[in-house]
Amino acid sequence: MRERIRNFSIIAHIDHGKSTLADRLLQFTGALSDREMREQFLDKMELEREKGITIKLQPVRLNYRARDGRSYILNLIDTPGHVDFSYEVSRSLAACEGALLIVDASQGIEAQTLANVYMAMDLNLEIVGVVNKIDLPGAEPEVVKQEMEDVLGINKDEIISISAKLGIGIEDVLEAIVTRIPPPQGNENDPLQALIFDSYFDSYKGAISYIKVKSGKISKGKLIRMMSSSLEFEVSEVGVLSPYMTEVDMLKAGEVGYLAAGIKKVNDTKVGDTITEVGNPAEKPLPGYQEVKPMVFCGLYPLDNKDFEKLQDALNKLKLNDASLLYEPETSKALGFGFRCGFLGLLHMEVIRERLEREYDLNLLATAPSVVYKILLTDSREILVQNPTNWPETQKIERVMEPHVKAVVMVPDEYVGTVMELCQEKRGKYVGMEYLSPRRVMITYKLPLAEIIFDFFDALKSRTRGYASLDYELIGYEDSDLVKLDIMLNGEIVDALSCIVHKDKAYHRARVIVNRLRKIIPRQMYEVVIQAAMGSRVIARESIKAMRKDVLAKCYGGDVSRKKKLLKKQKEGKKRMKQIGQVEVPRDAFITVLSIEEEE
Amino acid sequence: MVISKYSESKIGLYIHVPFCIRKCSYCDFFSVPLSSRELLEHYTQAVLAEIELRALNYSQKQIETIYIGGGTPSLLSCRQLEAILQTVYDEFSVAREAEISIEANPAILNVDDIRGFKNAGINRLSLGVQSFFDEDLKTLRRLHDSSDVMKTIEDLRSQGLDNFNIDLIYGIPGQSIDRWKKNLEIAVDCAPRHISIYLLQLSPNTPMAREIANGLIAPLDEEDEWLMYSQGIDYLQEHGFKHYEISNFCRPGFECRHNLIYWQAREYLGIGPGAASFLDACRFMNKPEMEEYFCSMEAGAACQVEELEHMSQRELLVDAIILGLRLCEGIDLEAFRTKFNVDINNEYSDIISSCHSSGVLEFENGRLRLTRKGYFLSNEVFRRFID
Repeated sequence: MRERIRNFSIIAHIDHGKSTLADRLLQFTGALSDREMREQFLDKMELEREKGITIKLQPVRLNYRARDGRSYILNLIDTPGHVDFSYEVSRSLAACEGALLIVDASQGIEAQTLANVYMAMDLNLEIVGVVNKIDLPGAEPEVVKQEMEDVLGINKDEIISISAKLGIGIEDVLEAIVTRIPPPQGNENDPLQALIFDSYFDSYKGAISYIKVKSGKISKGKLIRMMSSSLEFEVSEVGVLSPYMTEVDMLKAGEVGYLAAGIKKVNDTKVGDTITEVGNPAEKPLPGYQEVKPMVFCGLYPLDNKDFEKLQDALNKLKLNDASLLYEPETSKALGFGFRCGFLGLLHMEVIRERLEREYDLNLLATAPSVVYKILLTDSREILVQNPTNWPETQKIERVMEPHVKAVVMVPDEYVGTVMELCQEKRGKYVGMEYLSPRRVMITYKLPLAEIIFDFFDALKSRTRGYASLDYELIGYEDSDLVKLDIMLNGEIVDALSCIVHKDKAYHRARVIVNRLRKIIPRQMYEVVIQAAMGSRVIARESIKAMRKDVLAKCYGGDVSRKKKLLKKQKEGKKRMKQIGQVEVPRDAFITVLSIEEEE
Repeated sequence: MVISKYSESKIGLYIHVPFCIRKCSYCDFFSVPLSSRELLEHYTQAVLAEIELRALNYSQKQIETIYIGGGTPSLLSCRQLEAILQTVYDEFSVAREAEISIEANPAILNVDDIRGFKNAGINRLSLGVQSFFDEDLKTLRRLHDSSDVMKTIEDLRSQGLDNFNIDLIYGIPGQSIDRWKKNLEIAVDCAPRHISIYLLQLSPNTPMAREIANGLIAPLDEEDEWLMYSQGIDYLQEHGFKHYEISNFCRPGFECRHNLIYWQAREYLGIGPGAASFLDACRFMNKPEMEEYFCSMEAGAACQVEELEHMSQRELLVDAIILGLRLCEGIDLEAFRTKFNVDINNEYSDIISSCHSSGVLEFENGRLRLTRKGYFLSNEVFRRFID
């Protein structure tokens, strides 16, 4: 039985066609009828489909009759393709014995792909190289294959050429999975070790875990234990996804499926954790478990203060489904009651915010994202600051440390100068540069995380006309000369606009922020003065002239309804504003503060 | 028929005459070109039919004011006007002291018309002067020139129709502050009972708006518009005119009673295509289509109506506030408490206090009203009250 199972994952850069290939595999093996076939079946959240990205993975089981005449069970474990979710990717890979590496025939290898391939290699996965989109006019499959051989050591003659869109080469891929990827190891008679590689919340069954049974077996009625927390549950259901949930009697070593055990919170079934059986426990958990730590924080506030409880309720519900989301109530003088939320990264933050607005009908304001700073105080206490509002007074600060990352950028060689310039602007320290092929370069920089969480990736993309790809990993804290910049509207500090900047850049940033606010805050009934201050010293100032005229000169019987409608419509536009003191501020202002790209 | 708590016994009657010889460059009201004299006669008959039809439903209401507007209602012959007013008198009860106004274009109003209008019962006339300077009149594409205006005003005097209004427009492209000032002086010298000064405001589908968009003419800047407005208020007040609505001034006791009905959120009935009514908490408009109107009226059927708003008590309250604030006397808080059972100060304390500190609303003698700065920023205030 175990001999006929193949567990595999797909590694690909965004847009290189992972979801399309997955769909084709489903279709080819008959897991989905054509009628059921929707584009990108596996990306089930509406938001994922819209953004064309995969956030949440969903495993699926395929039955394939191979050319050798035997039938195989192929478990496809889809992975998210974004840097925010790299830990989830690593756990998905850990559940597999092999991986398809898909590379776009016109784009070549991208930084993100590279990081994931190295991760797969570290886990001893068999890598099956695939070049996709060979049907495109700009396709250069041979060049890309050579690059894959040079950079990754994959034999270029074994790389499969396909077009997932046109359905070319799909069977070759399936055959390679069967013949080249080894079956899972593990003995079903050993104590149970099952790896949780994803989980989500189902309102009927409680938290559902997706698991790979590494050894032993698991079935309904068994008492299980989560090895990181020692929490115990009774299994109420096990099953497989083919691709819909189908209950089975038992999952044995090597198999992939789902498990329900009346678990109330997703947080109690953590990705990376090992499940064992209470009656016959394994000695050790599987390696590689980590608590997921949020890297980016921001304040989320309802635009209408009355919605605070609605927001709290919505966050509670989302948390059931997303263990990596952290939040705690906070109060801003300017914005009222809200939550400080922690995210894996910016995309994660954006997705959560959009889901809150879309699925829970909230109108939210997000403050500029911030990282967690370590501050050593003069009384030698060390504190963590994730909200600029809590920045201590200058005289109490001994030393400030900020998180740094090692960033890898891959780019055609004509953009090397551009990328270095950008990294330099962002306080980067050059680490190294390497030619991947005669025309493609890998540049490595050390950068403060704070500099790249906001629009670094956008800037990189636009300055390299979309050619650059980026990956980064956290490498620890380092000393930094940082100060807090306060923004004042009509003399009042708006706490939610405060930000932390490098001392050398403070004057420039202050001018940019003040200038940008002048442009995006609409004129009001009185003059609005915008100032930026470092401590008590004002270092930049702008003002917005008072609006003079907003009147309907004529309003008689026939006009009333029409004009009222007009006013109403204009008012709708103002709903995206937050009233701060006397000043109406567009909600985008709070994010804009961090943006570095100049509009001019 | 159900009469709501908010329906009243006294109403205003508006009669629309949607014909123009030529459309002005800034106008987007419903009007059609007057292709023949027969069309006017045809239209008069249709209006008579609608008056009779409406009277079936609303004859219990007393008509306090009649306002014949347009378009260019002075295109009607005296006989046609007489017929219309006679039918109103026949079908409705009309208050003895009713104000009966007509709008007139100086280019096509002669002394015989004025005499005839007066005989028909007209006791107030609103003259679309807009400017006493030909440069402005040309920009506005008005039919008349400055000499027509002076002639018409002489005729009004000679016929003893002293209760007339002069409409002026400020903020016309090319208009200097100085020329605006002269307009005010000449208007006051003409000794009208009422002066309206309107800021030129263009909706995008007017010819002048397109000329501006195409860079052919330049609009005035806001600061100049404000100066002209402010200067208008000062000058007219110095010369004995009372400022009673954002754009309206009069000699004491000569407010336009018909327009007051609108601003006091009281009821009115509109006759003619494109005319709006506000009755029994409902605001509706006759469909602005001439052919449709003719057909319905010939068939003796009600014309098609677009219901603009069927209003809840809350919406009535909001309307009363934003219309009432257009009046310089503002709104009487006690009267609102009685009528709507709402304490505005309490209900809207946030809005009122923020508008007060911004210097656009003020209190006086139990009334809440706009300040001078507030008149020109009134939309900012109104928007806050709208739900």
